[in-house]
Amino acid sequence: MPELRYIRAINQALADALEADPSVILLGEDVSAAGGAFGATRGLRDRFGAERVIDTPISEAALAGAAVGAALSGLKPVLEIMFMDFTTLVMDALVNQAAKARFMFGGQRSVPLVVRTPHGGGLSAGPQHSQCLEAWFAHVPGLKVVCPADPASAYGLLRAAIADPDPVIVVENKALYATKAEVPEVLEPVPIGHAAVIRPGRDLTLVSYGGAVHTCMAAAGILANEGIEAEVVDLRSLQPWDEATVMNSLSRTHRLIVVHEAVEAFGIGAEIAARMADIGFDELDAPILRVGAPFMPVPFSKALERKYLPSADAVVQAARKVLA
Amino acid sequence: MPKLGLTMTEGLLASWRVKPGDQVRAGDVLFVVETEKIATDVEAPSDGKIVSLEVAEGSIVPVGTTVATWIENVMPLDRAASSRGSFSNATRVIATPLARRLARQANIDLKAIRGSGPRGRIKARDVEIAAAQQAVLRAEADASSPAASAAPLSRQQRRPASLSETTVARRMTEAKRNIPHFYVIADADVTRLLKLREELNAAKGEIRLSLTHFVVAAVVKALKRFPDINRVWDANEIVTLDAIDIGLAVMTERGLVAPVLRNADRLGLDGIACACEELVTRARRGRLTEEDLAGGAISVSNVGMFGAAQLIPIINPGQAAILGVAAVRPVFRPDDRGQPSLRQELSLALSCDHRVLDGVSATRFLNAVAEILAQPLTLLRR
Repeated sequence: MPELRYIRAINQALADALEADPSVILLGEDVSAAGGAFGATRGLRDRFGAERVIDTPISEAALAGAAVGAALSGLKPVLEIMFMDFTTLVMDALVNQAAKARFMFGGQRSVPLVVRTPHGGGLSAGPQHSQCLEAWFAHVPGLKVVCPADPASAYGLLRAAIADPDPVIVVENKALYATKAEVPEVLEPVPIGHAAVIRPGRDLTLVSYGGAVHTCMAAAGILANEGIEAEVVDLRSLQPWDEATVMNSLSRTHRLIVVHEAVEAFGIGAEIAARMADIGFDELDAPILRVGAPFMPVPFSKALERKYLPSADAVVQAARKVLA
Repeated sequence: MPKLGLTMTEGLLASWRVKPGDQVRAGDVLFVVETEKIATDVEAPSDGKIVSLEVAEGSIVPVGTTVATWIENVMPLDRAASSRGSFSNATRVIATPLARRLARQANIDLKAIRGSGPRGRIKARDVEIAAAQQAVLRAEADASSPAASAAPLSRQQRRPASLSETTVARRMTEAKRNIPHFYVIADADVTRLLKLREELNAAKGEIRLSLTHFVVAAVVKALKRFPDINRVWDANEIVTLDAIDIGLAVMTERGLVAPVLRNADRLGLDGIACACEELVTRARRGRLTEEDLAGGAISVSNVGMFGAAQLIPIINPGQAAILGVAAVRPVFRPDDRGQPSLRQELSLALSCDHRVLDGVSATRFLNAVAEILAQPLTLLRR
């Protein structure tokens, strides 16, 4: 199987989508001439022209508003918001317009729009360039949210998002951009709403997404040395999320930990824990735990940031607690 | 006298760890109880002062008997407040949702179970053990067991058997009477194994590998090859176990115990060695729990270090086989050209329950164990 970098998987998904569907356009700051702040759109202007790969002024509100309008009138815009932290400026277009249109127009129109945006720390980028804000979007009816952990799902989820008739937020962990992994010869779309069990185990379930999936795999490796078999579920999609797969895993392991890089409070983990405490109550043999970042802005300092981000050790400790 | 398990009706107060007038803190060991299978430390539930001891060391008393009187300390206000959750409502059963569901399904009263989880929380495993104990209890009630009258022994030799000795006696008698034993015997050539072990043990800082570790690893590997051996008889049902758990006969001051090594197939040779040593250490310190003694289909009993030519053991009740391992001895065997060659061999005897195993499958299995021991490098792979 060939190896592919995460960022190249995104580039290829965009190229294949532009190739397959003439209504797909890319919009964003520096996406065209510069090829994207992280290089996701490199080479696409030369292949598909500046009319379809469009550099916008530095106004996220304006480019998101333009994209919603374009989507309502038949195009399939894919926006890049350079850092998820800047999505604060696109909230009106996404939350009040894009998310609501299908419902307010009685199903006659939808907004086939995709927002690509990187979240996550680990690069000493500080409090305004490292946040994981996916829970905000997952809280809004009408928006879908996905967060790929590896190159194959980065490709597949982005293709599925572009093909989807509704607005989808594709959250990319920027620390993963440079990572490489084996991918199948032929890359396929990955359906939204389906999780994957990427490591089977019978003692406890670790549910995670994005960069934290790799933290869970590392923790599962440490636990395996002690004879504890952790099952790792990569959610892939956060809204809608794959309740059945998580429930199925919990029914076998009876112990659940949700791990994410976002702050623990009021997050994706809270939603999954609450839902599983409801439908999975009689399966639980220990309290459901969350492992996330502390309720604090992301620090600049490398040393502090290392402490801040959820580590494999923190996951191992949580595992010991649910197994006690 | 606390009730430490479903089957417990009386307990032997083995030793006192406190005396009248002692101040104790919550968690201090007050006394040691010998129950059916193991010795258990009984801890103070809260701080207090011992007033008097009511039961002498060595007495067997019914569950519920007052063994001592004490005055519980009035806790300082802040501590009383912080610990209210664990002390205020002693009658409320703390159990996980899964444990509650299993108890409901098995018709087991949670009040009779001692939880092994944090703050005494009853977990699924505790219910499973209680259910297993209940099944054993039922089976025991079915089989009547009149005590054979023994010929009078010399008076000087007489002493009452301890509770654990009585229990071992009863369990072994039942096992030998109720389980139709048959035996398969094979010799394993361990010449290469001894050499390999010597090389591995020459490395400093690593755990020392014993023959027992190798035999356990070989049994695990053979069980993987013959999963049908990993089954037990349970009330007219043949139960095939998914997990590879291996019992390990350990001699302790308190008598023979056979704690179970869990999920041994997931451990490498080193892992098995560490886990065995951990079990042996806990067994000798009397720190085994009921859970350590349940499950598994096969045990290993090695008396080779004491020089036996052969050991034909009795199956542990609940299991279906036990492998007796004897001493290594030098023998001359004909080599390829019929010339005598000096080899190191040990005798393996597999005692089997004929209700679930037969001569053919047991022989194949035992041969596999012997073959693996003869080709020990295969044990270095999982």
